[in-house]
This record gives sequence, structure tokens and C-alpha cells, in this order.
Amino acid sequence: MGDSISDIGGDDPPAWLALAASAEPLDVRPLLAGGEDPFSALLERADKVEFGGLLVVDAPFNPAPLRRVLAARGFSSYGRRIGLGHWRVYFHLDGGQDWERTAESDVSPEGAMSWREEDGLHIDVRRLTPPQPMLAILRILDSLPAGKGLVVHHDRMPQLLIPELAERGWCIARVSEEMANIQLWLERVG
Amino acid sequence: MFGGSVMMGAQERLIPPSIPFRFFLAATLYHVAAWAMLLAGAEQLPGFTGGLGPLVAALHLLTLGVLAMTAMGAAYQLLPVATRRPLGPAWACRLSWWLYTPGVALLSAGLYGGSPAAMHGGGTLVVAGLAVFGVLVAGNLRRTTDLPAVVAHTRLALAALAGVAVLGLVLVIDVGTGLLPDRGAVAAAHAVLGGYGFMGSLGLGFSYVLVPMFVLSQGVPDAPGKRGVGLWALALLLGVGGAASGMRWAAAAGALVALVAVALHLRLLARVLKTRMKKRLEPFFRLVKGAWVLLPASLLAGVALAVGAPAEVAAPLWAVLLVPGWLLTFVTGVLQRIMPFLASMHSGGASGKPILLSRLIAPLPLTVHAVAHGTALALLTAGAILGNAVLVQAAAGIGLAGALAFVLFAALVLKRWRDHERGNNG
Repeated sequence: MGDSISDIGGDDPPAWLALAASAEPLDVRPLLAGGEDPFSALLERADKVEFGGLLVVDAPFNPAPLRRVLAARGFSSYGRRIGLGHWRVYFHLDGGQDWERTAESDVSPEGAMSWREEDGLHIDVRRLTPPQPMLAILRILDSLPAGKGLVVHHDRMPQLLIPELAERGWCIARVSEEMANIQLWLERVG
Repeated sequence: MFGGSVMMGAQERLIPPSIPFRFFLAATLYHVAAWAMLLAGAEQLPGFTGGLGPLVAALHLLTLGVLAMTAMGAAYQLLPVATRRPLGPAWACRLSWWLYTPGVALLSAGLYGGSPAAMHGGGTLVVAGLAVFGVLVAGNLRRTTDLPAVVAHTRLALAALAGVAVLGLVLVIDVGTGLLPDRGAVAAAHAVLGGYGFMGSLGLGFSYVLVPMFVLSQGVPDAPGKRGVGLWALALLLGVGGAASGMRWAAAAGALVALVAVALHLRLLARVLKTRMKKRLEPFFRLVKGAWVLLPASLLAGVALAVGAPAEVAAPLWAVLLVPGWLLTFVTGVLQRIMPFLASMHSGGASGKPILLSRLIAPLPLTVHAVAHGTALALLTAGAILGNAVLVQAAAGIGLAGALAFVLFAALVLKRWRDHERGNNG
């Protein structure tokens, strides 16, 4: 595979990952850096994958919305961060049965994907219809132990969430805005 | 990515708080004016089936001054956030307020005193303000694919608004010229289209966003939501057509179809409540639940009116259950939640510490308002059924006290918000 893989999630990788050793990754980072959204192109590419085949994508972040969409089309997926601003996600067209069990991520009842990185728990609520993002974020905040923060990947600044966060003793400590990915670092107040 | 939507900075979507709050404060003051005007015209209500004077002025202070005013402020603030599309320039929102707010006062004064000039001037300003609102909202909804049930209801409301405005202007022109062969039928169509078409569609559609947001629950599924708007549109078509043409069967059929749509609507919202994260419903919800009872009650009164119940009783009863009943109860419930919510959302500034909702809400004025509003409605209903003007006067006096309590609540929200911001900046 060339790059060294560090297992951020800490979960055992699925057995089918061994099949991906020789697969050439499709790197969409240059497209995103140029302001182009590769979502449609990736879906077209996924349509050409035959049953049992693989698609490997290099992206600057964990592409949770793509993983959700492809899961609905029968792809299991497994993602790893292999460097700063560099994720590699493996898609395997196997019917997607029970893929969440072997994935390094969890999916909330609202459809938001969450995973762990060095800086804590991340949740991706992009492309979810309101009020699902708010529900997914509040649900995960309510379950977090003291002292833990949450990194939210959103496609907008969640203004309507702010009063609910304040009421629960949370605030948005930091925001970073990139192409198609607003990251919010949520922390407890005080 | 991996998502397709072009991102737009949140600040671009978020209009300044001065815009929604100018609408909300105007609505709060017109609320007082409406009950005061009803107090002045209480003797007109028993047996009322049409005409000018304080009662019609009070009705328009409520419908235009409180209901539509609140809907405009809420739509300007929330639609762009919900649809993720820009609304339009802030100056256009302000322009609509400057046209609309004095227009409501002038039109109401004209209706009160029977002055064609004031009615023409006020009506023109109101229609101009609503036209700006309609253009801005229609532009926001164009190419929106999210929240299809909400968008469909809002589009239906805009179509109804165009009809209400045209019929309203025709009615105003008729006062001086007498051009309408059957003014009563046009007034009835105007009332059905305004109450159920414009405000009703907005109320039903916005519920699909506001209720899940306030109780923290899953949204309404798209398919039944869209079926509901189809039924509601059919009901409007029948109801307005029946009222305008005098075909009673059509008006009654419209009310019955509307009852089916309402049953579907309430079933969807019951499911929203069942799956909510907030187990304890906040006090504003007592009004929302009351409105859910009053909506089908108004439709049943409409059926009675359509099938030939005495108009002297059925017409005022229907109007009471529809306007101060369903619509005002729902709107004051939403307004008392949305004002502190938006104040909290806009607060904090550079410090990033928003004021807590619980600190903004003063419960006592809201309880006074809720009790007064409920009592006033009960007395109004009794006054309409029994044809008793004293009951209506008592209702208006108590409603006025409730409206003043609501002003106190709104003033406290603003004061606490301002104090918080000063503390942050200092």
C-alpha cells in the first residue's frame, strides 16, 4: 500500500481489507483543494465496481457522507487516517451486510458517523436533514464522560444548536472552515 | 464533500437579529391593540356576519398585525437556516417591515372608521409589504430540495397569500364603489383563504420544523408530509370555491377534507412527540396543544356553517375558533419560545458565551398570559354561541390583560439579553 497505516479507531480491520493491498487509491484531495466537489465522480466510479470489487479513496478527512451513501448501495467501508489531512477509505462491494460491526466507526440512529482520533471523538453530520444533525450531536454529548470533548464535522455553522449547547453547559470552542467541511470543537464551559 | 452542497458561511445566512425582532415586537404590540379594539367592538360580535367597524378592525389587527407579522419575522430568520439557501438582502426584509407595519395600522384605522382613503392606503402598503415578503421567500425556496413537506406548505401559503391580497384589495375597493354583486361571498372566500390558506399552511408547515426542533425529536417523514399538503390544498380549493360561489356542499366538503388532513398532521406530530429527547415539555407547549384542539374545532364549526346552521351563531363561532382560537393560540405559543431562542442564538458575540434560554424566560408573565388567553377564548366562545355581548366584553378585557403580560415577557427577554451583552462587552 505504500503508506504506513496507523489504526486510529483501534478496532480490528475487516478480513476483506487484505484484498485491498494492490488497489490503486483514487486521490480526491487535489480536486477538493481546487474547490471541486468529487462526490458525483466518486459515485460514478463506484457504479463501475463489480460485486466483490474494491474502491479505495484518499481524502483530506473521513468522508462520512460518502460512506453512508455507498453503504446504502451495498459497500462496506473501513477508514484510517494515515497522516495529517490524509484519510484512506476502503470500500468493498459485498452487499454491505453488517458493515457497521466491522467498521472503525459507529452510526447513530440519525445516520451520523462517529469515530475516534487522537484529539478525541469525532462525529460527521454533513448532509443530514434538520433536525437530525442537532439530535445526533446532543445525543452523543449526553453520553460523553466528564472531561471529554467532541469534534463535529458539519456542512454549515449550526446556529440553532447554540442555545441547546449553552443550556447543557457546552460551547463551541473553536471553528475551522474548509471546503465542504466545517469542523467545530465542542467543549464544556468552565 | 462528499455531499455536494456549496457551502455558504453561516453568517451570510443569518440575518441580523434586529430584523426578526422588529416583527416580533410589532406583533406583541398589535396583540394588545387587537384585544383593546375587540373591547371597543364587543357588542358587534353576537350575530356578526360582516361589515365594517371595530370588530373587523380587531380581526385584522390579529390576522395581519399578530399572525402574519410573526410569520414574517420567523420566516426571515429560520427559512435560510433550514433550507441552507440565502434569503435576500437585509434591506429588503427591513423594507417589507416599513411598508407592512404602518400599513396594518392604517388599514385597521380605515376598517374601524369606515374610511375608504385609509383602507386604500393601508391596504396598498400591506400588500406591498407582503409582496416583498413573498418574493424573498419564493426566491429562498427556489431549487430547495431539503424539507419537502415544509417547502410545499410554504409554497401553498404563498399562493394563498397572493389570492388573499387580491381579494382583500377588491373588498377595499368595493367599499367606495359597490362593484361586487355579492360582497359577503368574496369576504368569506378571503377569510377562508387567509385563515386556512396563508396562515394555516404556514402554521402546518412550520410545525414540521419547529416542533421537532423544540422538543428535540426526529423530523416528519417526507412522504406523509407531502400527502398532507396535497389534502390541505384540495380542502382549500373546495372551501374557497364553495365560499366564493355559495355552493355550500363544496365548502362543507372542503372542511371535511381539511379534517382528514388535520388528522394526518396531528398523527405525524404525535409521532414526533413520542420520539422526543426532551421528556418534559416546556410551558409554551400548553398553548401549542390547545391550538391542536382548536384547529379541528374551527373546521367543525365551518362544516356547521356550510350545511346551514344559523349564520348569526355559526359565523362568529367559526371566526372565534379559527383566529383567536387556533391561529393566535399557536402563534403566541411559538412566539414565546422563539423570541428567547433567537435571543440566545444571537447572544454571546465575541465572548462566545450565549445567554441561557432559562435565564431569558420569565415564567410568571407567560402563565398569566396562558390563563388569560384560555379564559378569554372560553368566554368569547360562550359569547358567540349565546349572543351575549357582556361575555364578549369580559373576554376582551381578560385577553387584553393577557396581551399586556405578554408585552412584559417580551420586554424582559430584551432587557435580560441586553444586560448579558453589556456584561460580555464590559
